[in-house]
Amino acid sequence: MATIREKGYYHWDGRLEARRFPWWPITRTGIQLAFKKKWFKFVFAAGFAPAVVTLVLIYISERLEDFKSMFGGKGQLITVNPKFFMDFLTNGGLVFIIVMVLVFAGAGLIADDLKHNSLQVYFARPLRKNDYLLGKMAVIFFFVLLLTLVPAIVLYIFKLIFAGSFRFVVDYPWLLLSVAGFSAVLTVFFAFYTLLLSALSKNSRYVMIIVFTVYLFSQILYGIINSIRGLHGPGTALVSIYENLLQVAAFLFGQKPPHAVHPGWSFLILAAVCVASAVVLNRKIRGVEVIR
Amino acid sequence: METKGRTPAVSLAASVREVFGFFFFLGRRTGKTRVFVLLGGIPVVIAVLVRILAAGRADDLAAVFSEILMVFFVTFYIVILSLFYGTSIVAEELEGRTLPYLTSRPLSKAGIFLGKYAAYTSLMFLMVTASLALSYFIMNGHRLADAGLYLTFLKYAAVLGLGLLAYTAFFAFLGTFLKRAILLGLMFGFGWENVIQYFPGSTQKFSLVHYLKSLLPRQPAAGGKFSLLLFRLEPTGPVAAVVSLALIAVVFVALGCWVFRTKEYLFEE
Amino acid sequence: MSAVIEAKSLSKWYGNVLGLNDVSLEIESGITGLLGPNGAGKSTFMKLITGQMKPNIGSVAINGERVWNHFRLFARLGFCPEPDAFYEDISGWEFLTGLLRLQGFGRAEAAERAAMALTIVELTGDKDRKIRGYSRGMRQRVKFAQAIAHDPEVIILDEPFSGLDPLGKRRLIRLIKDYEGAGKTILVSSHVLPEIEAVTSRIVMIHQGKILAQGDIHMVRDLIESHPHMISVRSPQARALAAALVDDASVLKMTFGADGRSLVVETPNRDGVFGRLQSVIVAKGLEVEEITSPDDNLQAVFDYLVGK
Repeated sequence: MATIREKGYYHWDGRLEARRFPWWPITRTGIQLAFKKKWFKFVFAAGFAPAVVTLVLIYISERLEDFKSMFGGKGQLITVNPKFFMDFLTNGGLVFIIVMVLVFAGAGLIADDLKHNSLQVYFARPLRKNDYLLGKMAVIFFFVLLLTLVPAIVLYIFKLIFAGSFRFVVDYPWLLLSVAGFSAVLTVFFAFYTLLLSALSKNSRYVMIIVFTVYLFSQILYGIINSIRGLHGPGTALVSIYENLLQVAAFLFGQKPPHAVHPGWSFLILAAVCVASAVVLNRKIRGVEVIR
Repeated sequence: METKGRTPAVSLAASVREVFGFFFFLGRRTGKTRVFVLLGGIPVVIAVLVRILAAGRADDLAAVFSEILMVFFVTFYIVILSLFYGTSIVAEELEGRTLPYLTSRPLSKAGIFLGKYAAYTSLMFLMVTASLALSYFIMNGHRLADAGLYLTFLKYAAVLGLGLLAYTAFFAFLGTFLKRAILLGLMFGFGWENVIQYFPGSTQKFSLVHYLKSLLPRQPAAGGKFSLLLFRLEPTGPVAAVVSLALIAVVFVALGCWVFRTKEYLFEE
Repeated sequence: MSAVIEAKSLSKWYGNVLGLNDVSLEIESGITGLLGPNGAGKSTFMKLITGQMKPNIGSVAINGERVWNHFRLFARLGFCPEPDAFYEDISGWEFLTGLLRLQGFGRAEAAERAAMALTIVELTGDKDRKIRGYSRGMRQRVKFAQAIAHDPEVIILDEPFSGLDPLGKRRLIRLIKDYEGAGKTILVSSHVLPEIEAVTSRIVMIHQGKILAQGDIHMVRDLIESHPHMISVRSPQARALAAALVDDASVLKMTFGADGRSLVVETPNRDGVFGRLQSVIVAKGLEVEEITSPDDNLQAVFDYLVGK
């Protein structure tokens, strides 16, 4: 009896030897691709400007006598405390640059894969959906942490060096935890936010616009609503991504929230975005494209 | 093969007309347009809310529209729309690799550029006008019999139309030679345009938004409670502002046509 | 017969990469196949003759008229580009009528021509579906339809068979061949020899940006015949098979693989040895796992031509 033998390919029935960090090649590629973009390096470098300014302020705060004439007695306004670190991490300019970094480095993370139908190429390898998503998220973790947590820790160390004692550590024992906590919130939120939008379109140019638009629009909307009598109130801050981050930061740094609404609501809103993102990502990321 | 062998000649005007028709139709069909239309619905929702909550305070309503909702239109909506559609004129053909379908037709390249520019500007103008009209007339629903109301509306629409023409021309020009025009566009539209208004003297005249703000029909009283939009404005006269915006549009469209005609575009592999 | 497409000393480079190198070529009416491996310069040549790109050196003309930025000439040109790219949000019908309107036809005539083109490519039943939902074969056919719908004199088809299944390829080959007698000039590119062979016997071979050979396809065949063919057989009884073939005069050389299970036969008469192999296998009841021709491909022909 004649048989037709399968010649083209063979089913692999060996044992799956999982890599320890299967998501790492995805992350590395994402980071490398971002740095290949011509303007990215400038924008990313600009992200360190707030840290440099803050470092100068820390230096001045430790050498107030030398700068007395320059500040005309207002030098004592520079007090390095948890609020000082919170102001650095929630600085509008820094958050704006982080959003620009997301536009550059994050918009195409999934959109480009969807466009080139390359999800099946990923999943033809010993890679799970979670590894893929973690790999993509880690790109954003890398950039956002490098602009927030890393400079904040460096600033903390410099504060100790300039002060020449550990008094600051004793005075604010929880500060490093607050810094790490808020950096983590910022990073995780922006990772989910960017990947959610990146997974919604195959067109990375469009995603770039949307990543920027949603962030900015939430702020403009807050500005508009807050300016209208009858509509304004502390709760209106909840429509703005930035204001929610401020609320969360105030809570984590033990400060008075800028808006008279419980920071738990802001936590809840940011978490809701993350959950929505996880649901969408779970639906959109699959090896086979479904055409409707 | 049963096909008829007639090849009609296509003039520049006809090129523009046909490209306009094709892309006006195509633009309406994309999901992206629907998202931008939805975005335009936000001021309408706000207008409805304001009408409900601020019923009876007529002065406030007019001020809310001219100095608060117009912030949305002038500094955000038309800039985002122009940035996306303006850079799309060339970028979408390159990203989608569809440019040969256009450049292998008997259409002049200037005609293709102008046709797409006209199509997308018209599409945006429709979106903006619809949103503007709804929010404006909802806010001013209590004085619909006032003829001045319609004149003011036309002025607002004209200002936004001029803004769309100028911004789209500029962003379309960027898109003809920059691979990632959107990034530079974002920096220009939301960085430069905002920062420069804090500069003294004539510096703010190096932004497009300055001329648009100068043309807005309702100028606020200095230090008034609604100074959000016209903050630190040192207005240019209306004629000079219109001429400046028109000139910016014409110059950048002409430059865009020239670059598109002379540059050869390679697709990214 | 006078040349319809004429390229003179055509060169094109992308930065440091040479895409096309001093190509002079005349293409007459009828079907011509442009053959070359990936990266040979086929698409560059196609883009130059359709005015998508401007030559760095040299000139290209259609019916004596220069191509670059000469848009009126494109009324007589139909181009089927290589990328699988479309305006995805519209239907096949809207795509065709839209492009016909751009070609300068009125609404009624555009509709009439679109209907005719869709009938030719057998897509009438799917004309109202969005292109996004088309199969690869349907996409290739609608792309072909937009190139012929305005009845151009010159039709340029860049890799029209890529991604098509055998049935789709046969269908498209038939469509292209239908034009042979219509007095059109058709240039079809491919890197697969049998595809071009099925469409035309007149070929242009291109490699590393240079024209290697031009003329009748049999010339290429002759070239293959002048080199011994290699036939590789995998069998647990490779030596028994070799013993049975050794007295065949057309076998020039036989070599065994290191594992003793493979045999490579060199012969100038490939078809003859294939026939002999079959009868020996059947007669002796030998078990054979695989028979392949490692040099029976376009790359091998090019290797011979370039003297590798």
